[in-house]
Amino acid sequence: MNGPSTRSGGLFRNNPVAVMLVGLCPAAAVTGRVIDALWMSAGLILVLLLTRLSLEILKAFSFPGSGTGHMTDWLSLLFLASCFTASFELVLGAFAPDESAGLGIYAPLIAVNCIVLDRLAGRGSQEPAGPGEIGRSLGQASGLGAGFALSLIVISLIRETLGSGTITLFPIGSFGGTIAVGGISLAPARALVYAGGGLLCLGYLAGAARLVRRVKGAERA
Amino acid sequence: MSLLGIILTFSLVDNIVLSRLLGICPCVGSPGGMRATAGTSAATALLMSLSALAAWALESFLLRPLGLEFLRTPAFVLAVAGLAGLLDVVARRAVPQLLRAAGIPLAGIAVNCATLGVVLIAAKGGFTALQSLVVGLAAGGGFFIALTLLTAIRERLEVEKVPEWLRGLPLHLISAGLLAYAFMAFDRAFLSRLFQGW
Amino acid sequence: MAEPHPDVASPPALAVSPAPHLRGLVSSARLNWSVACCLLPAAAWGVFLFGLPALRVLGMAAGVSLLAELITSLAWGRITVRDGSAMVTGLLVGMLMPPGVPLYVPAAASAFGIMVVKQSFGGLGRNWMNPALGGVVFALFSWSDSMSRWLPVRGAGSAVAPLAALRDAFAGGKAGSGGLLAVLGAHGYPWSATDGRVVTWVNDHVLSLLGASLPRGVFDMLVGTVPGGIGEISVPLLLIGAAYLIVRRVIRWQVPVTYLVTFCVAAQLFGGLPMGRGWLAGGVLFQLFSGSLVLGAFFMATDPVTSPLTLRGNLILAASLGVLTFFLRYFGTLGDGVPLAILLGNAVAPLIDRFTQPRVRSAGKGVIG
Repeated sequence: MNGPSTRSGGLFRNNPVAVMLVGLCPAAAVTGRVIDALWMSAGLILVLLLTRLSLEILKAFSFPGSGTGHMTDWLSLLFLASCFTASFELVLGAFAPDESAGLGIYAPLIAVNCIVLDRLAGRGSQEPAGPGEIGRSLGQASGLGAGFALSLIVISLIRETLGSGTITLFPIGSFGGTIAVGGISLAPARALVYAGGGLLCLGYLAGAARLVRRVKGAERA
Repeated sequence: MSLLGIILTFSLVDNIVLSRLLGICPCVGSPGGMRATAGTSAATALLMSLSALAAWALESFLLRPLGLEFLRTPAFVLAVAGLAGLLDVVARRAVPQLLRAAGIPLAGIAVNCATLGVVLIAAKGGFTALQSLVVGLAAGGGFFIALTLLTAIRERLEVEKVPEWLRGLPLHLISAGLLAYAFMAFDRAFLSRLFQGW
Repeated sequence: MAEPHPDVASPPALAVSPAPHLRGLVSSARLNWSVACCLLPAAAWGVFLFGLPALRVLGMAAGVSLLAELITSLAWGRITVRDGSAMVTGLLVGMLMPPGVPLYVPAAASAFGIMVVKQSFGGLGRNWMNPALGGVVFALFSWSDSMSRWLPVRGAGSAVAPLAALRDAFAGGKAGSGGLLAVLGAHGYPWSATDGRVVTWVNDHVLSLLGASLPRGVFDMLVGTVPGGIGEISVPLLLIGAAYLIVRRVIRWQVPVTYLVTFCVAAQLFGGLPMGRGWLAGGVLFQLFSGSLVLGAFFMATDPVTSPLTLRGNLILAASLGVLTFFLRYFGTLGDGVPLAILLGNAVAPLIDRFTQPRVRSAGKGVIG
């Protein structure tokens, strides 16, 4: 499996959730409301970029744990990812405590997903560190993060609209944050908000992505 | 909560995969047969129970007394990874043939949501040491149930002519979703009435 | 069609058996339409009792089911509506619905059942979950209030299904002793006038000679003039349809009989316990005639597509279903336990197959159909 080669690769062609099928747990679990998906994606992108940046800086200074050995490599990745995740959790808990509660135990799992995605982003980067290398690797990471966010947002839009009849966004000023959607909000299909709904949407998203790829491939051929 | 209650809750009512949606990646992703399923589940259950115990120890002796709860995530991630590495080394020395036959990627088990998620649930639940251990085992048991059922379904699907765009992982996810709905039959009300009734 | 996967420890026995063919054969058009016809008497009874709303629900369920099948099969370039399975699914969905349910519920249930549970897997013979039950359970969790909109039977006054009423009676904590029907009567459950006349007549002219008496409600329960799902209330009509199917060898009699017998044994032995009535006091006959037990046992647990392949596997599953239904009905709160139990049975069927199939050693997987 090749890693993404361009920035746009992570968004569509190599979308982490729909195509490469990693990070499935938050994609199914935290997509009951749009705002949960938004915060989760924001957290993941932040942690991923920060971790990647730190690793690149470490590599630039040739510190141990920056690609010189397998075990130290692994440990530094784990440590960095989990520390940044903990920071994100603290900040979220301080500024948006309701949201923090909404994400629950899935916020710390950003660390785990970040580790997996970072492995994908950092692949094939044995070249010596430098601004170009840092830029490229951050670009890959942001592409993957954006792809993750896109998948989560799509799933959460479907699940929340059909399953609760609302779309929950950030409360700004007088806007409470919840949009009620027309007729559906009278009798939403609540089953979509439950665990099964998440898995179903995820499955159909992956299938749809494959369908799109097939159509595009047929066009090019 | 009694030990039996813990076992039933974490394996059926709040099934790790089908209710909490943790550990989806190994459940639908790994292409192994039944033997690999048993091996993966056993390793996962072992790792989960040991990690839950370790997390209990960390929480009780380090994090809470010193007011370091904010370090919970790094502490648990490193603990789980450490235990997984330890198990890996032990398994390689003790039962190498078993590992080869079952094809268990222990590193993969460590770096997935399931173990860390279980550990977090156990830590937040305020359980005792023994209860944490049982939570981990029960969660592993629930993982085993889900993985076994999904593997059998997957084996049946492999010989059917399914729509091309859904073949493979999409259909496994859809199957998991349908299974999750079926498992909603086991809910907390059911469990509590079961215990009252007897 | 499928190459042996390098990671698979042993080739699944299923791959080399003619199983998919067998499923396809049994589910042929003639058989499906027979099943549909055998469901009609019970469905018609429901329409007779509940009137136009019931007819609308049935029509919507069947109509959407056929439409969904038509649309999805057109996407594959062939029309499979003729094979009758969509008709059976639609009928079953409608029959499990309460008559007062808003029409979008059976529509969604049928659509979900056909498109997600059946067609996504490749259509007839390839789904592992019963489409009708998948749709009904989806509706049950999505619109749980709507799914208990019972309607009163013509002439009677109550709009609560007997099983639900019984739950209420016991929840109150003051259910007296005596049979379950007596408990319902004590709680003022309004049986029909016909029931009153028949039971009184029988008591006066027949049973008083023997010194026994029947409680009110026996006639209503037996004949099926109680509120409930449209097609599940008339056990005699369902049994007639099922008998025809058994005689014509469309369904195996062993499966429903095992299911019901296991349930009865469990219910009679242990059923009294959750209600605080001791052992051997389960009120089996009442349970048999309420809810979708007979409908499920004869028409859904026997679906060859979602059942194990061997007779032994089927019997194991049927017994498990009996026990599971007992637990879900007596201790659960999500309806009468049958749909969810059968769904769980569907989930376990492939596993049962895995362990009851005769092992056939072969170099690789055969290419089937």
